[in-house]
Amino acid sequence: MLAKASGAWKGLWAFAATEARVQLHEYLSIASTVFVQVIFIFFVWLLAPLSLLPFALVGSMVFSAFVIGERVLDEAAYIRIDHKLNELYHASPLSPESYYLGMGIGVLVAYLPTLTFLGLLTETVHPLAPLTAGLLILVLGTVWLIASSLGYILSTFFRDMRAIWPYATLLFNFFGVLPPVFYPLGLFPAGLSSLALALPPSAGAALVMCAMGLEPLSSGQILYAALALTIEAIALCSLAIYWSRRSSREGD
Amino acid sequence: MKKVYRSRGRPSVEALRGLDLEVRRGERVALLGRNGAGKTTFLKIASTLLLPSDGKLEIFGIDAVRRPEEVRPLIAVVPQEGHPFYHLTPWEQVYTYLRSRGFTRETAQERAETSLKDMGIFDIRDQLNVTLSGGQQQRTMVATVLATEAPLLFLDEPTLGMDPFARRGVWSALRKLTERGSTILLTTHYLDEAESLSHRVYIVEHGHVVAEGTAEDLKRRVGGTVRVTLPEVGVRTEDYESYGRVMKGDGVLHVITEPSRVSEILNAALARGVAATVGPVTLEEAFLQLVGKAIEEDAR
Repeated sequence: MLAKASGAWKGLWAFAATEARVQLHEYLSIASTVFVQVIFIFFVWLLAPLSLLPFALVGSMVFSAFVIGERVLDEAAYIRIDHKLNELYHASPLSPESYYLGMGIGVLVAYLPTLTFLGLLTETVHPLAPLTAGLLILVLGTVWLIASSLGYILSTFFRDMRAIWPYATLLFNFFGVLPPVFYPLGLFPAGLSSLALALPPSAGAALVMCAMGLEPLSSGQILYAALALTIEAIALCSLAIYWSRRSSREGD
Repeated sequence: MKKVYRSRGRPSVEALRGLDLEVRRGERVALLGRNGAGKTTFLKIASTLLLPSDGKLEIFGIDAVRRPEEVRPLIAVVPQEGHPFYHLTPWEQVYTYLRSRGFTRETAQERAETSLKDMGIFDIRDQLNVTLSGGQQQRTMVATVLATEAPLLFLDEPTLGMDPFARRGVWSALRKLTERGSTILLTTHYLDEAESLSHRVYIVEHGHVVAEGTAEDLKRRVGGTVRVTLPEVGVRTEDYESYGRVMKGDGVLHVITEPSRVSEILNAALARGVAATVGPVTLEEAFLQLVGKAIEEDAR
């Protein structure tokens, strides 16, 4: 069974390295992801009370991890619709699940400079305890897994790149910006806080903000947000594995 | 093999209507047909990328419909109008693809180098694919797939957009691969390519095979091995029908006949003050005739 499981991930790291190379050749795109966050942080520093800066920094990191899903959606759809490279890879020993997750890992590599930069900035503004830093990494990883899985699954439904851009931008910005990701949960309508704690980016941000001592959460809220994130990650990852296998052959 | 595309609100499309073919180990077989005849649909089914509506497909004794994951390590595909990753170089494209198929670093490096040399793009191996011409990108795609040396290769219009030198480079590489034991099934609209490269040819029309054989076999079915071409203006078709099959071309008449009758036709043409040229019957003529006949039969 172990051999079967490892066979299912055959070629994962090699394909992740391929996708990372593709992303790293687009260095201007990487630079722009850093630049956008720097501009945002600059305006927060300029216009908002300094006490809100750590919130914005946490939000920027969580948002960056979440918006990877949009990039995975674009990339997976682009190389399928425009390049037909899915055919090259699916008709090969590379497993469909390695193709999906490898793409997510490759795109994550492109966001590492942004995440590292924001992490260092956070450490400077609001030093993190080792446990909090560990939780931050865990949350970012979970949000990345959820977003990549979602992005990959959605990518398989589109037949035209032009249709993708508005939907992808809307989807990932709506859930990544509107809920309390960049700002405290307390500023969100109280009646909707359960919804906010169930959405991956705001659940992740709330957990990190709580661990950093920026905004307390009740133990019930912590458990609720952690469970929501875990269940969503397991469910979406499992669905993406199933869907990647199924969509590797049209008509299945 | 049958394939029906069904979509809500639109009539179903019968892409394959009982297409039946066999490719032997070590063969190079060309699948010819008009646009929409079902070639790509078949190639997609054969390469485990599309589920057939009905039918059986065996690849090296494995049921490819039920167990695609067992077939995939044995095959490689050049997709129709595919492109390499724009933000990789040709070398990276071939090397990383081989790595993702499980080849060791050393083998991947060695094969990437050989394949890029065979395709004549070794000198541009470090330029980003996005900066290359369409033909060079297509060569990169072919190099990627040929480097796998997979036992069975599916190539959907592999030389599309390539110059004549590049096309011959691909032919030569494909011949080398089959000499080493690989089997090749390709589609092409270049009939000279099919003729020069393939051991056997299948002609497909409206989802089924209308003719099969070597290029020579198919040419013989046209009714002769020699073609005499006359200008259509001032020439009456019935004057030449007794010499062989008369086909109308683009402003010309082709008389398909046997070599023994060529001098008679030339004399008849000269007597009428008409110039004529003589050449061998091509696979294109056989294709036009066989497919034309199938279209007429379908219309009836």
